[in-house]
Amino acid sequence: MRTPLSSGLAAASVGLLLLGLVLRSWQVVLLALPPTIVLALGSLAPPPRPRLVAMRSLARERVDAGRDVEVELVIRNEGPPLDLLEVADVLPRDLAVVRGTNHALVALESGGTLVLSYVVQSAVKGDFVIGPVRARSLDPLGLGVQDAVLEVRSSLVVAPAMEDLRRVQLLPRRTRPWFGQAPSRQIGVGTEFWGMREYAPGDEVRRINWKASARFDRLFTNEYEGERSGDVVLVVDARRESFVGTPVDNPVEHAVRAALGIADRVLAARNRVGLIVQRQVIDWVPLAFGRKQLYRILDHLLHVQPGGEWPLSHVGFVLSRFFPRDCGVVLITSLLDRDVLEAVIRLAARGHAVTIVAPSALEIERRQRTDSREDRMAYQILAMERANVVRQLRRVATVVDWDPATPLALALRRMTARPSRA
Amino acid sequence: MRLAPSALLGLLEAGVAWDLVFIFDRAWIGGLAFAFGVNLVLLAVGHVLHWRWARWLGLVLLGTTYVVAHVFVLGVQLLPALAVVALLMGYVEVRILSERFAPLFLASITPAHRGQFGRALLRAWTRLAAALIVAVVVPLFAADLAVAGVVPLTTIPTALLLSAGLVAVVVLIALLPTLDAKASEGREPFPRARNSPKSPP
Repeated sequence: MRTPLSSGLAAASVGLLLLGLVLRSWQVVLLALPPTIVLALGSLAPPPRPRLVAMRSLARERVDAGRDVEVELVIRNEGPPLDLLEVADVLPRDLAVVRGTNHALVALESGGTLVLSYVVQSAVKGDFVIGPVRARSLDPLGLGVQDAVLEVRSSLVVAPAMEDLRRVQLLPRRTRPWFGQAPSRQIGVGTEFWGMREYAPGDEVRRINWKASARFDRLFTNEYEGERSGDVVLVVDARRESFVGTPVDNPVEHAVRAALGIADRVLAARNRVGLIVQRQVIDWVPLAFGRKQLYRILDHLLHVQPGGEWPLSHVGFVLSRFFPRDCGVVLITSLLDRDVLEAVIRLAARGHAVTIVAPSALEIERRQRTDSREDRMAYQILAMERANVVRQLRRVATVVDWDPATPLALALRRMTARPSRA
Repeated sequence: MRLAPSALLGLLEAGVAWDLVFIFDRAWIGGLAFAFGVNLVLLAVGHVLHWRWARWLGLVLLGTTYVVAHVFVLGVQLLPALAVVALLMGYVEVRILSERFAPLFLASITPAHRGQFGRALLRAWTRLAAALIVAVVVPLFAADLAVAGVVPLTTIPTALLLSAGLVAVVVLIALLPTLDAKASEGREPFPRARNSPKSPP
């Protein structure tokens, strides 16, 4: 393929030649020779088509956001010698090279090898594909190029940074009949003392309350509060209007981070967790226990991008069709519209115990703007509106108003919930 | 490396501006100064806004100003004129090399990579320098032959011969990609399967 430079040189030489002939000036005619000579020299050694084999290896295929990943790309020339070879390993926009280079310009002999080592980092979550490798062979004078694309692709999963909620107690309000860690307000297997009753044949000896037995001169057995598990459905509001701020600092990214932290904590307490994401489509992960469920939820959250303009009340339809009626709902939304109020009232009316975690878009926007008088005034008005919505929501739900600049654990400590009977 | 194209361009602009100083004919100086000013503006705009077309147009205007000034007013002196044409081509080539190589050296690269890039750059520089020297020397040699009377330069057959040679070179260059593509059709296709990540390096 010719470059614009070769066309420019050809045009210049023809122009000078014609001018020289018209003016009958041999000096001007001679001026047409230098571009022609450069063109002729360039055409003597046209760039060969690159025949390359490439292999890429990643130090890790799953990594947390903000962590480094080492990438090594090995390219071998299986064709003729390449005088000037430009190679670029194509990276997704969100991956930044922090060390080394993914781009090279070298001379590569036949059978020669080029090793490119570099370190990438992503500040945002995502399921990224690195590649393909683009190669371009140039002639020494840049008059012609030959391109090749090596379809070598590697997958890199960048998980969102997880909130540390180990010191936060997150319990479902309603329990199910299988064992867990949530007090059920019913007598059963557990560790919290509930009461005493007279000994009955078959009671475990270790449960006998010897002090009470000695005092009343007959045997008494301790009873404990049963610890059971419950169902929690996380609802992530990722509608387009929730996107305020930068790709790294916006309510949707913080909602994903919060959802992952809460899911981890609630699953660790042997509860079932499900997920509903409202974005361009409404998709969900059914309730399940265990570590595998956490990875299912993580894989789902990786692909959450702001989009869609559905009203939040559509979540109620999915909840009523695919989840138990009495499951707890943790709604993670930035409360940017009053539609949330209506949706939460409907959920509460159906019997769901609703908890709202609200990453504040207002605080995010405030940090990103200059502190002018008008901005302060606007902030105060919007803060009052938000406080008003929160006050109304607190009549039907527990609301955690969260400034994403602070740890979520701090905001969640205010949320106290006493479990009720199933 | 990043400064080399700007230095070359500055040299060219200064040379052309210096030539314009010696034009006293008001009819010519107005138009030439206007073209020169537009060239400066276009190059500045192209540099700031990264508009490629503005850079090209500015360069064309610079060359045109020089050629018109010398052909119609000042008279053509062969050696300086060849040097200016070679410098113009050299500027474009150096700019291309600078745009490609400079970002590589700005990244935090290993000494091995630095060595590889440096060797490739040295080869490119050497070949470019050789091409530009040949591009100046050959026309000078041709001029010497003509002045010595070995080649009757001012005859119509010589002009036709030169034109035919030039047209042949341009046609050859235009057809080369097509010929190359046809030749590669017969070759074994690029082994796609071997590019898979599972294949050995």
